Amino acid sequence: MECFLLAAACFGVGILTLLFPHSLQRYAHWLANGAALIGSGITAYKAWTLLAGASVVPLAWGSYSWVCDSWSAVFLLLTGIAGVITSLYALGYAQSYEGSRMRLLGGMWNLFLLSMILVLLAGDAFSFLLFWEIMAVASFMLVNHESEKRSTWTAAYQYLVMTSVGTAAIMIAFLLTGSASSNFSFAAMADNKLDILWQHVVFACAFSGFALKAGLVPLHVWLPNAHPAAPSHVSALMSGVMLKIAFYGFGRFMFSFLPVWNYWWCVIVMVVGAVSAFLGVLYAQMENDIKRILAYSSVENMGVIFAAFGCGMLLKVLAGGSWYYLGFVAALVHAFNHSIMKVLMFMSAGSIMHGTGSKNIELFGGLAKKMPYTALFTFVGSMALAAIPLTNGFTGEWLVLQSFITLISANSAQITRLWAALCFVLLGFTGALALGCFVRLFGISFLGRARSELVEHAHESDKFMLAAMGLSSALVLICGIYPLPVVQAVCAALKLDNEFAVQGFSLAWAGSGSLSVFNPLLLLLLVAVISAAVYLFTNNIFVEQNVTWNCGTYPTERQQYSATGFSKPVRRAFDYLLKPKRQVSYMRKDHAYFGRQLSYKLEIPDMITEKLYQPVQKHFVGISTFLRRMQQGSVRLYVSYVMATMVLVLVWGALYK
Amino acid sequence: MMYFISDVQGLALCLLQAVILLAAAPLITGIVKKVKALLQNRIGSSIFQEYYDIKKWWGKPTMVTPYTSALFRLAPCVYFVTTLAAACMLPNFFGGRAGFGDVFVFVYILALGRFFMAVSSMDAATAFGGMGGSREVYVAAFVEPVIMLAVLSNVLHTGSTSLSGMSLRFDEVNLTVAGVLTCIAFFLVLLAENSRIPVDNPDTHLELTMIHECMTLEYSGRLLALIHWASQLKLLVFLLLFSMLYLPLDLPVVLKVLLSAVAVGVVETLNNKMRLFKVRVYLAAAGLMLLLAVVAQ
Repeated sequence: MECFLLAAACFGVGILTLLFPHSLQRYAHWLANGAALIGSGITAYKAWTLLAGASVVPLAWGSYSWVCDSWSAVFLLLTGIAGVITSLYALGYAQSYEGSRMRLLGGMWNLFLLSMILVLLAGDAFSFLLFWEIMAVASFMLVNHESEKRSTWTAAYQYLVMTSVGTAAIMIAFLLTGSASSNFSFAAMADNKLDILWQHVVFACAFSGFALKAGLVPLHVWLPNAHPAAPSHVSALMSGVMLKIAFYGFGRFMFSFLPVWNYWWCVIVMVVGAVSAFLGVLYAQMENDIKRILAYSSVENMGVIFAAFGCGMLLKVLAGGSWYYLGFVAALVHAFNHSIMKVLMFMSAGSIMHGTGSKNIELFGGLAKKMPYTALFTFVGSMALAAIPLTNGFTGEWLVLQSFITLISANSAQITRLWAALCFVLLGFTGALALGCFVRLFGISFLGRARSELVEHAHESDKFMLAAMGLSSALVLICGIYPLPVVQAVCAALKLDNEFAVQGFSLAWAGSGSLSVFNPLLLLLLVAVISAAVYLFTNNIFVEQNVTWNCGTYPTERQQYSATGFSKPVRRAFDYLLKPKRQVSYMRKDHAYFGRQLSYKLEIPDMITEKLYQPVQKHFVGISTFLRRMQQGSVRLYVSYVMATMVLVLVWGALYK
Repeated sequence: MMYFISDVQGLALCLLQAVILLAAAPLITGIVKKVKALLQNRIGSSIFQEYYDIKKWWGKPTMVTPYTSALFRLAPCVYFVTTLAAACMLPNFFGGRAGFGDVFVFVYILALGRFFMAVSSMDAATAFGGMGGSREVYVAAFVEPVIMLAVLSNVLHTGSTSLSGMSLRFDEVNLTVAGVLTCIAFFLVLLAENSRIPVDNPDTHLELTMIHECMTLEYSGRLLALIHWASQLKLLVFLLLFSMLYLPLDLPVVLKVLLSAVAVGVVETLNNKMRLFKVRVYLAAAGLMLLLAVVAQ
């Protein structure tokens, strides 16, 4: 635990930079982000040794206790790695906040990282909830950093309200479990004596609370607003790590406190996950704001993680034996990989915003020429999020698909098979739509010609930002080509002996009868051999440069396909889900057919907000309006309330002595 | 390390197979074209015409728009490489063992090529390119889940996710309801995945009907030759998959491939290209058949 104390001390130094005077804000910036980098590095190192077999002495302080088991170690590793990368990025990126509460940004950044690590180390319900709330408040402060913008503080307050509701649900779950055990430490809560009915309640509360924080549909509505509002390195950490901490909490409940699972719980987790994955990526493809695209993609990936977890739960309930772990391994591996690639993509988004000053991809085009390194790193990240082989996105995808195949072929009950097959189809849709989504994001922003003068003035990011993006791109590729260390770490976290038959460098899985193999290194070798041959034939081709034939005129930038146009076929194909509101109008006084001035307006309201939240909100306001009649502000009325209450109490007392 | 060496040996055999398939691919496309021509009461061009075309393009200079980036020249090569890699993954007729992946890797390695082609479609800064990329990812969004279901149905039948395992255990005379439904559905997906009528028309250059051709409109010379060759190889790979894993007829594989190539030609003659937004209905039909097949097994 000393290592973690040392890390906490680093973060403490970072938090104390809040006290620096305004004139020293630059020093505060270097110190805060440097401290965060070192603290995260220590955490990652320690977590790695833990997964390799070292153990940790639990620490107790009054009624608070800190322990670290293998389930939290894998998340500590993820937090540490993401923390190092994003703090490195922040060294460059946060400089642009000089003069606008730069010290607050650095201090809160450290507090946010520290609270996430302490949530993972918490050994009892109270410390968990305490740091969970500190995490929420720190992230709220960070989201609300640019509070001058109206959209930012609306998003931040929406986040605050939603996350409080989630915490309430989690608190109920903890209190119910704790009241059925001897005390509130996790060890005691593991032998709770909840009866069946209360177990259902605890599951419902825990699942809804953690699903809200993880951004699963229909509780995701805060996420696509809050993540874009925050500074980019904060969005990176929120999407990359904070959502996974919600998954950690859910896993903790499932593995420790509710070890006997109901069939329908598993189905609910799996179906909610798959639906979130599908709807998340569908909305991602409709967005033009680069950070909202990434936020919806986080909804998608958390959905995939929960679907895989639910699949693992179903396998454990139905099949038993040693098969069930595949779903859990898939969920954890994907959680780990997704945190790296999502951190990379949010950092890329930050670089683009830094270079151009906008987040609207409709205004970009041809950025690859102005920001070649950012383009390269974004391309790697886009491939990973589209689950393309040889990036780490595919490892998780492969394991998830394997676990679903195992579930479907292991179980003969047709209803389960139908559930699983439907989720499998949704995941297939998700994969293909994600490909379209990131082709669009990369192609529209980086290729072709500039769509606005923002691109003309764009500049490449500084060396800290490029180093952070380069580091995470390298990790994406390394974990994609050589996935074994991650898979083995995850197997260690789940206390599995290395169940994957390791042949050479491949992942092999023999669950459903015959061997399924994926050997990325060999695939790379094959691709390299063929590529070399193709290169020999094409490197000396005779190239002529000439402008594209455009029926005798020179093509303009405006003739390129737009981002909105690119997603039109998908929007039309899923219009029954998306319900786009489209308005085309033209100036009548122009020529009737040629050169008309058109205006095109497109709005895709979030279906869930419109159908679920707005009616609730309406009723809430209605009830409040009704209750307002009691609160007239007149003293005489309140005195009569007191009088009436007293009479009622007296009568009640007289009747039931 | 020992495994690795034996894997490399298997890999060499697989490469050999892929090269043979690559050599045969233009012929299959030529046969499909000949069938179509004969059914339309034309004599048509020779079945070797595709070889002449590739030879012609190979010797021509490549015209490139100055707006493009390095990706524009890279994409056809990656498309070609990934298709060839997918061909390596087919069950090997030399008995080589392709230990680098199963059917999911096969599907996603093709997605790698599609990713590069769709991204590069926007590189030349024209409306046509973007249109092609947009439509390609739209069709892919519906094709991929259906392919996944076809895979699932086959896994339930054979109990394996590796392509060679699937083909070994595929029972060729097993005419069950599930088997027939899967066979029909996979044929529908095959047409969509390879840009054939009724989803796309490979012979047209009309903006309203193109999908795949749209993306490749800016390519010329050797790069165009690579794209066409890769597309032909992809068709052959899918016909082979169809013959080995889905067509429940007890015939030699070569005969089955020829038979299904003729079937492609016949279907292309009998049907029109459908509207772009009808594609989802077409593929949903295939998907529902497969869902039935999955539940029925």
